[in-house]
Amino acid sequence: MKNSPQPPRLFHRFFLWFCKPGLRNHIEGDLLELYNGRIGEKGKRIADLLFIVDVLRLFRPRILGKLAKHQNKNQYSMFRSYFKIGWRNLVRNRSYAAINITGLAVGIAACMLIFLVIKFETSFDDFHKNPDRIYRVVAATTTPDGIVYKKSSAFPLARSLKIDYPQLEHVGRIWIQDGNQVTVMNDKKESSQKKFKEDYLFFADPEFFNIFNFPLLAGNAETALSEPNTVLLTQQTAERYFGDWHNAINRYIKYNNNRVCKVTGILKNTAANTDFPLQLVFSFKTSRNDTSMDWVSQTGNLNTFVVLPEKVSAQQFDKELIGFVKKHTPSEYANQGYILQPLSDIHYNSKFGNYRGTTFSRELITTISLISIFLLIIACVNFINLATAQAVNRSKEVGVRKVLGSRKKQLIFQFLSETFIITVIAVFFAIIIARFALPYLNSLLQTSIKLHLDLTSMFFLITGIIAVTILSGFYPAIVLSGFSPIAVLKSKFSNKSVGGLTMRRVLVVFQFAVAQALIIGTLVVVKQMNFFRNTSMGFDKDAIITAEIPGDSISQSKITALKLKLLQQPGIKNVSFSTFSPADNSHWGSDFIFDNSIKSKDFDADADLKWADADYFRTYNIKFIAGRPYDEADSVTGFVVNKMLAKKLGFKNPAGIIGKKIDFWDGTVVATVIGVVEDFHGTTLAKEMKPIVLGSLKNTYQLVNIKLQSKNAKQTLASIENLWNKNFPDYVYGYQFLDDKIASFYTQEDQISQLYKAFAAIAIFISCLGLYGLVSFMAVQRTKEVGIRKVLGASVGHILYLFSKEFTLLIALAFVIAAPAAWYFMNGWLQNFAYKASIGPGIFILTILIAAVIAWVTVAYQAIKAALAKPVNSLRTE
Amino acid sequence: MKKFQLGEFEEIVLLTIGILHGEAYSVSIKKEIEERLSRSVSLGGLHTALERLEKKGYIKSRDGDPTPDRAGRPKRYVEVTALGIKAMEYSKSTRDSLWKALPKGVVGIRKSIRS
Repeated sequence: MKNSPQPPRLFHRFFLWFCKPGLRNHIEGDLLELYNGRIGEKGKRIADLLFIVDVLRLFRPRILGKLAKHQNKNQYSMFRSYFKIGWRNLVRNRSYAAINITGLAVGIAACMLIFLVIKFETSFDDFHKNPDRIYRVVAATTTPDGIVYKKSSAFPLARSLKIDYPQLEHVGRIWIQDGNQVTVMNDKKESSQKKFKEDYLFFADPEFFNIFNFPLLAGNAETALSEPNTVLLTQQTAERYFGDWHNAINRYIKYNNNRVCKVTGILKNTAANTDFPLQLVFSFKTSRNDTSMDWVSQTGNLNTFVVLPEKVSAQQFDKELIGFVKKHTPSEYANQGYILQPLSDIHYNSKFGNYRGTTFSRELITTISLISIFLLIIACVNFINLATAQAVNRSKEVGVRKVLGSRKKQLIFQFLSETFIITVIAVFFAIIIARFALPYLNSLLQTSIKLHLDLTSMFFLITGIIAVTILSGFYPAIVLSGFSPIAVLKSKFSNKSVGGLTMRRVLVVFQFAVAQALIIGTLVVVKQMNFFRNTSMGFDKDAIITAEIPGDSISQSKITALKLKLLQQPGIKNVSFSTFSPADNSHWGSDFIFDNSIKSKDFDADADLKWADADYFRTYNIKFIAGRPYDEADSVTGFVVNKMLAKKLGFKNPAGIIGKKIDFWDGTVVATVIGVVEDFHGTTLAKEMKPIVLGSLKNTYQLVNIKLQSKNAKQTLASIENLWNKNFPDYVYGYQFLDDKIASFYTQEDQISQLYKAFAAIAIFISCLGLYGLVSFMAVQRTKEVGIRKVLGASVGHILYLFSKEFTLLIALAFVIAAPAAWYFMNGWLQNFAYKASIGPGIFILTILIAAVIAWVTVAYQAIKAALAKPVNSLRTE
Repeated sequence: MKKFQLGEFEEIVLLTIGILHGEAYSVSIKKEIEERLSRSVSLGGLHTALERLEKKGYIKSRDGDPTPDRAGRPKRYVEVTALGIKAMEYSKSTRDSLWKALPKGVVGIRKSIRS
């Protein structure tokens, strides 16, 4: 049938290529029969077209069948052989495999956990509508020491921004209050016994919901925050207050025992990854600060947020703000200024801080990711070392494979696939380790990270497996596949000629350098923490409790009587009322006029105001160096200042300041200085000490400070609570030990110190695991040598020396590398703190001792075993 | 538990093979179905179905003689096995029992479907 028309060749051949052999003839026959039939009926072109359609519709699994198998048959069985041999090797060298897998698993688990932490910490507030256009307006105040940045703003800022820049899409304020009381009211609108002391009370402008994406379960986002005395609860809060959140709407709560607010909506519980930990959101009008026109006072409790229009950059708007501030702020406060901080910066920038007070600096993210990479690398190093050390055992196999025609490329692939098996097993164990370690990490970092496989985690895991396989498998694969078959098979092949010894030494040095650097880091952090704990604050902080007292006038009128009653209780030494404790998170800073003439801000002596009664000095044992305390009074009769204030104002002898006049707020509070006290730390030791002014101003008191005879005074504490409840039945009682409060200043440093400890422990563990593997291998290799040495008279000590000499040298070398690097890095970290421990030589000596001792102990077991072995046994069998 | 696995298209193919009785091979089956049921049948679908049916043991095949219009390629004749007949009967009886179980209220619908 040569002359008959032929179907399209390309598709015909395509069909023959893909069809499975068993069907090929039959179907080809069918196709041709149909084709020939169609030519007669419909003409060649249609028949061609239909032929193509038929062929394409035949391209389906049952008809393809053999294609894949047939093509890759050879490779496939080779693959299987690689995995089979790899698995056998693994099972034969169980102990080495265990060392490799354990090391890798621990390293990978650490990496995974850090990945989860970073993923969590970088996801903060990324769920808003236009997160890249939301900015916080933050204060940038020019002082003689440079620009001071704070998250503060002034109340009228938002309104004026709205008027002056109508192009801003949204402008809204958030005012936040901590430690305020909320009383739940029953359905008859009467106060119930359900009282709560709440943190994170938000007061927000109606624009809140235009700027941020916090969905409502009930209520209207448009109107919910527009009226005064209204409040939104999150589902969780509503359930706490009213049982079922569905019942909460249109019910009432009382804020601070004086403001009854209607619940107008229920918010969905906020996600863990937000710096806006919403519980109660009041309308801003409820706060009574709504119409304040005070441009000068700034508070960190008040934040102003704007949404910039598209195409306007923050830098452009910062320039606008210079003129804007000039227009509105009084001229003598020209040093005040505002800039924009991107929403995405809030979680990382400790300069400004966030509502939770736990920023996670980008530096810390970089540091821990670097450390995690180092941990992974030292785990890979174990693998490289053990694999190259054992290479001689595999040399015959390589020789035979090469003689039988294996190419270098194939051998490399073989060894990589063995590494792959080990890596995959290690990843499996790593997931289990991570699963069990995660709760500890969560409680340490106060996060709620969960281990689940989403797309990014999967991607990370797969890249991780590939990276680890290549990192740890590549060098051994090159070494192994490089053997010359003649040399190997002539059996004149010893460990010496394998090479890689220098490489192994370099890698051990690297491992121990990382481990020692981490030890140094840990020791420095721990030392700084101890410094924080043990440095005297300049006042007595032991066995003192503070409790917040209600602010309403009735309660305030009771406090003098309360003090007398408290002093009658056994176990109480002193009682004092004040606005703040000597070291506090909250501060009241202000400028003042000194000696009728000088404005304090001209010479940088903003005072930290601590209003307190006369017993404050005795309660906290604050020492006077000149003058005397003021007398008990309701208003200021005289000021007590600290030494630093006197010094800043130019008095070489602090006593010289006594008798000079200090004037706050243009004559509002005026008095002379009557005493000077020793400097004390008014805040965390991370920050510089500040000039302090003390005076008695009764209506500002918020705290009662009670000095107990001893810290474990349960009865006394109970009697205080009892007295409190009798005096203030409408308020929740809560107290705090001052030293706990001070310890809480250093939460983040404490977390870092725990993390470093864990990192250092992991690094040491992995390195020692590798060392142990190497030494046990060496011990086997040198059995005969040890035997001969012993016969010739070597003592056990000599043999031990033989084994530990090299490693000790390597560790010393690692120390020389690690010490300067760690010093440089940790010194940089210490610069974050105003008061710091010195690094000192002790830390370095301790580090090398720790490293050496741990390494010796690791080596010792195998070395002693080798040294004690009877030479007869090792030499008999030749 | 299903006793016999038989898809809708597979059932049609099986029936058609029975109808063609000894003359059944892919092209003739295709033509028969296309004529009787006026639905188009692709070679790919048909061969897939035949493969499946053979694997299940409902049909068996033998090679026919080569013919010139197939460029010397053999036809693959198929016939229904005893098991295949059982499968067809089972399928029919299950349908019938379902039809019988149809309640009276829908008889009207039943009639209209039939007409």
